[in-house]
Amino acid sequence: MKSPMTRRDFIRGTSFAVLGTAVGFPRNPQNPRPQAGKSRVILIRHAEALDENSEFNGPVIQQMLDEAVMKLLDQSDPTAAFRLLVKPEDIVGIKSNVWSYLPTPPEVEKAIKRRLLDAGVKEENIGIDDHNVRANPIFVKSTALINTRPLRTHYLAGMSGCIKNYIMFGESQPDYHPDSCAALGSLFNLPQVKGKTRLNVLCALTPQFHGRGPHHFSRRYVWNYKGLIVGQDPVAVDTIGLRLIMAKRRQELGPGQELPPVPKHIQLADTKYGLGTSDLNKIELIKLGWSEDVMI
Amino acid sequence: MKDLAQSIPKKVLDWESVGQDAVYDRKTIYDYMDGGAEVYLAFDFRNAFVRKYRNPSGEEIALDIYGMGSPGEAFGVFSCDREDPEAGIGQESEYGYGLLRFRQGRFFVSITAAGNEQRAERAILELGKAVAPLLGPAGPVPDLIKCLPESGLKENRTSYFHAAVNLNNRFFVASENILGLGKDTDCVFAEYATSPAETGDLLIVRYQDEDRARAAHESFFKAYLPEAGPAAAALTENGKWTMARTHRNYLAVVFEAPSKEYAETLYSAIRFPQK
Repeated sequence: MKSPMTRRDFIRGTSFAVLGTAVGFPRNPQNPRPQAGKSRVILIRHAEALDENSEFNGPVIQQMLDEAVMKLLDQSDPTAAFRLLVKPEDIVGIKSNVWSYLPTPPEVEKAIKRRLLDAGVKEENIGIDDHNVRANPIFVKSTALINTRPLRTHYLAGMSGCIKNYIMFGESQPDYHPDSCAALGSLFNLPQVKGKTRLNVLCALTPQFHGRGPHHFSRRYVWNYKGLIVGQDPVAVDTIGLRLIMAKRRQELGPGQELPPVPKHIQLADTKYGLGTSDLNKIELIKLGWSEDVMI
Repeated sequence: MKDLAQSIPKKVLDWESVGQDAVYDRKTIYDYMDGGAEVYLAFDFRNAFVRKYRNPSGEEIALDIYGMGSPGEAFGVFSCDREDPEAGIGQESEYGYGLLRFRQGRFFVSITAAGNEQRAERAILELGKAVAPLLGPAGPVPDLIKCLPESGLKENRTSYFHAAVNLNNRFFVASENILGLGKDTDCVFAEYATSPAETGDLLIVRYQDEDRARAAHESFFKAYLPEAGPAAAALTENGKWTMARTHRNYLAVVFEAPSKEYAETLYSAIRFPQK
């Protein structure tokens, strides 16, 4: 048996080292150019991303996505930024998430689609789907994918993020469940997916930091963080999402409950499947916008 | 489940059933539960009946009735997830924030609000009260529970399960299955607070045979307590003691004890069954 991460690693504060990551972010996150060899991830927040009734604010979310993608790609115009991600002739599948308790907000889907259209992609060549991606003609013929879903905890995988969002591309979802969903990274090597992911948008607008009951959901564990975590490297994006979830769990549930069970699939997506980096020393995190209770 | 379905009210207050009732088995439960299926399949889950109700505002609540094969297994699913106050429904229950959970006989029931929890609360509790009497007689808790020392036991924080996935969702121990847990192991995890100075957690695992218990003991020490000496105990980084010992085909681990003496006391009070 390989050396496991134990509860004692959490107590010692060495859990990140065991997870294959390192504690601490770069000191100069406003550097506009990606630092050599680093995956750039944008965390953008806006105090008005949700209104007083906790309804999603579409125009603000569009603005957040635009600013995030511009910063990600060093562009001053959102359309120009999206033109670096897709070509007009691309067939683009927006892989969303329809989980009834916490789906991808339609406002996020619309914001992505708006900029794909602005970048010249034909409307008939843009699809939004989740459970039907293996049969959806747009996704079957796709030349590019945009990956978007909410950030939440998960009984088996520990965390549901951008890596896990591709499980619907698998022929059998239960095949990816053993060993805490360790093989989720292999989904990105499926023929329908490989090399197509242009952007990952992890919705931290209302993340869920803990779950209970058969559906692992109770609204008491959802909070209005009002953020988006955006990047081209799904592993780096999920690594930042994991840091956020762990910080919130430490705050709300105590140090011993930072994140059970361990989301080992994130580390393995890096070390075994080579999809990106889970090492915080190799992630350039740029934080934009509202900073109150940012936590990471 | 079909007979049961006919007895369950189709309307509760102003919430009416919508769509087709659904029944899932061990193969199809994945279609209904996103990621939670394995947590239930780690028990002797047999089938699940699901009915949705909707109010005039379009909000939904979901009634899930899980056939768990035996009262012990129903207790297990219920016990792994307790955080809320008792709701007085079925044999044991709890309600909080739009989530009612209870067990009755070999059934575990969950009623969940998908929308505003406050508006759904009355209907959820009324539905639970209507369903509980339809589920047959009460049933006992698993016999392993009787091994637990009584002094200081927090009964509503006692969990019964079989697999590592359940342990790690209850009390994270390790990223790998270092205790060799699986469908053929029975586990109980309990929290203790005898006094402010005497708190701790106790895990008891019953293996199929003594060899497996010894192997798990060795594996646990290697991965978790490599510095433990002959006393089989060690002080961990948070100033708390962990101790692990075997007794025939049982392995007992005391976590988070404030002193070595209290860990010894807790271990010594375990009521292992006579051969």
